[in-house]
Amino acid sequence: MIEQAQHDGPIRQLKYRRFVKPTAMFAVAAMMVALVSYGTAGGTTKTTKAVKPHSVVNLTWETMWSGNTLTLLNQMTTAFNKTHPGIHVTETNIPSSTGLAKIASQIAAGDPPDVFTQWWPVLGEYAATGSIDSMSPYLTGKYAGLEKWEYPIAVAGGTYKNQLYAIPMSMNSWALYYNKSIMAAAGIKSPPKTLAQLDADSAKEWVVKSGRLIQIGEYPNVDGNGFEFFTSFFGATNCFNSAGKYDFANCPNAIKEMNWIASFAKYPYSQVNSMEAAYGSVAGGDDDAFVAGKEGFQVTGPWEGAQNIPVTNVGMEGNFGVEAFPGTVGGPSTIGQGNFNIIPKGASNPKDAFEFIAWLAGFNNTNFTASEDPLGGWVPASPAVAAAPAYQKWIAANPWLKPFLSQMGSKYSATPALTPTESQLEAAEATATNNVLEHTMTPAAALRYIDSQGNVSS
Amino acid sequence: MKGRHTLELREARTPASTAVISRSIRRRQMRIGLLFVSPWILGFLAFFAYPFFATLYYSFTNFNGVSAAKIIGFANYSSLFHDSLFRSAVFNTFYYTAFELPLSTIVALGLAMLLNMNVRGRAIYRTVFYIPSIVPLVASCMIFVWIFNPTSGVVNALLTGLHIPGPDWFFSITWSKPSFIILGLWGLGQPMVIYLASLQGIPKDMYEVAALEGAGPFQRLRHVTLPMISPIILFNVVLQLVLCVSYFTQAQVIESQDVGGPGNSTWFFVQYLYEQAFNFLRFGYASAMGFFLFIVTGIVTVVLFKSSSRWVYYAGDQE
Repeated sequence: MIEQAQHDGPIRQLKYRRFVKPTAMFAVAAMMVALVSYGTAGGTTKTTKAVKPHSVVNLTWETMWSGNTLTLLNQMTTAFNKTHPGIHVTETNIPSSTGLAKIASQIAAGDPPDVFTQWWPVLGEYAATGSIDSMSPYLTGKYAGLEKWEYPIAVAGGTYKNQLYAIPMSMNSWALYYNKSIMAAAGIKSPPKTLAQLDADSAKEWVVKSGRLIQIGEYPNVDGNGFEFFTSFFGATNCFNSAGKYDFANCPNAIKEMNWIASFAKYPYSQVNSMEAAYGSVAGGDDDAFVAGKEGFQVTGPWEGAQNIPVTNVGMEGNFGVEAFPGTVGGPSTIGQGNFNIIPKGASNPKDAFEFIAWLAGFNNTNFTASEDPLGGWVPASPAVAAAPAYQKWIAANPWLKPFLSQMGSKYSATPALTPTESQLEAAEATATNNVLEHTMTPAAALRYIDSQGNVSS
Repeated sequence: MKGRHTLELREARTPASTAVISRSIRRRQMRIGLLFVSPWILGFLAFFAYPFFATLYYSFTNFNGVSAAKIIGFANYSSLFHDSLFRSAVFNTFYYTAFELPLSTIVALGLAMLLNMNVRGRAIYRTVFYIPSIVPLVASCMIFVWIFNPTSGVVNALLTGLHIPGPDWFFSITWSKPSFIILGLWGLGQPMVIYLASLQGIPKDMYEVAALEGAGPFQRLRHVTLPMISPIILFNVVLQLVLCVSYFTQAQVIESQDVGGPGNSTWFFVQYLYEQAFNFLRFGYASAMGFFLFIVTGIVTVVLFKSSSRWVYYAGDQE
């Protein structure tokens, strides 16, 4: 028995040597090979760049667009790659719903794209936290005049502490659409020229039958975020106190604006929103009650008439017009908002990325951008592009676009200042607007809430 | 035989040499064992242990994901309790959990009992009730956005046909949370199947004995069925609890359609956490929220397990 038992050890050792040990070694070796392969694959681009300084620089451009805009982006990258043999741009898309999470993770992980198109109001946060590179060092030589070349609100939308962090490839502009046939049916002869007139005309257009909403007049809840989009009309875009803190609660124009929003609380909030959502879901989010011919007035951008109406309700073509919002401040204005390109911290090729970003904005590329912007229903970032023949041709063919363009350079147009809590402020403005329209906040409480969220410690 | 060998070996050897050999064998086996489980250990360390302790650490810091984290003590935790949106998110999540958890348990169990009955076409019924749970979550949400639209949805059209005024569902402060609860009840196929399997595992003779003793259907349910499947109920309740407190996808998808959310009534905890982290780059604050959620969920789970000795019957414990 002892001998038998003593034999067990060598047998086990033999089994260990013949089977277990080789298997384990193989597993470890396989893992190492896999890791090495992965590392090699991941580092290929950078290694190639380092060894061949004169080879093509590969730029990655990440956007959150989808649908038809992708064709437009493809045209842009193809044109850039053709005219810039030393740089090759590859465009990729991520869903806009997860775009913020994705880019934040990429920056934190040190593996961001070279260029990212950002339309959410987070540039202040990004700049304050060092998540994006300043482009000011590149504004020399042939790029020295870039800031002056842009609309002032386009520059303001990318500037934090006197450093340029973002350049828009296109801008949004907001004006008042009106439905001609609804106006005629309500006995309104011409579009409103004053805020009081807008309110009076709008009141005539609401139709509620048996408790159900049939037709909307005007409702101050643009894309779920009313207050912010109306601030330039009321001169309340940037309300700060002497200590540099947000102070909408004591800003007369902001109070006026929020009271105006509250005057719409008499209309059925849930029914208005469900009607907008119903039409939106039918057309994949591009439609709304105005496009469907069920809303008398709506504040929105040029894409409504340039893209949404022709695609989803041709019956509305020729049945709408656009005017500058009849605001309380001196003249036509819009809030500065756009599709801003940024260079995330850790981008592999920031200088080349800047060259691409400037090209996308139309700097030294006026004619191409002037022909592409109409395809996206966009307003250019520069008056020079807007003045180019291709863009002017589009305006001439669609004269209702004129208000969008003319107010871009208005001294009354304004951009929300980039601050470290910019996105918190915007989220709070949206919440406050909804709560006022839902009777769950008074206008004064809503403004205090906006201040409290905007001034939260970062 | 092997046991005898080992025993005799122990008797024949000196205690010292036996100890050395067995230690050596154990060490070798340990090494091999560790080698084979190392992929799991590495995964656990990288994807669970590290994030867990990192979250705990970051919850005491001001951290934006890019710059170095600055330790600020309990400031994030104290800020939580002064944050009105945080309180709304906690309330909404609590409300959802308080209704969804018992309702989902009762409905899933009830369906499983019905599907366990010996009726014609049972397989078809089982398939029909299971199908919603295999519909992708996002697709389910989109369907609910459409059918619950107060203006154009089929639900309100049917109610109008019955002369019942339909509510505004996701668009109403009163009805928005119940709408999400109904959406949650729609996809109960998974717990239903688990309950069904556990019901089929109950020996038939127990019901026969109970019937012989004069127990009616309700008594058989109370004294046979429920005790016998109580471990499965506990398992499902814990699982549903975790799903309820971490409710996110459905609310995020539906609200991305400009639907829901009136008066912050559908602002759930994890949505707020996500917004703080990825929209506002307040990773420290979001970490504190995450740890708060972990502690609360942990406490509730412990209470559930502690109370289980009173209502969960383990057949093995009685042997």
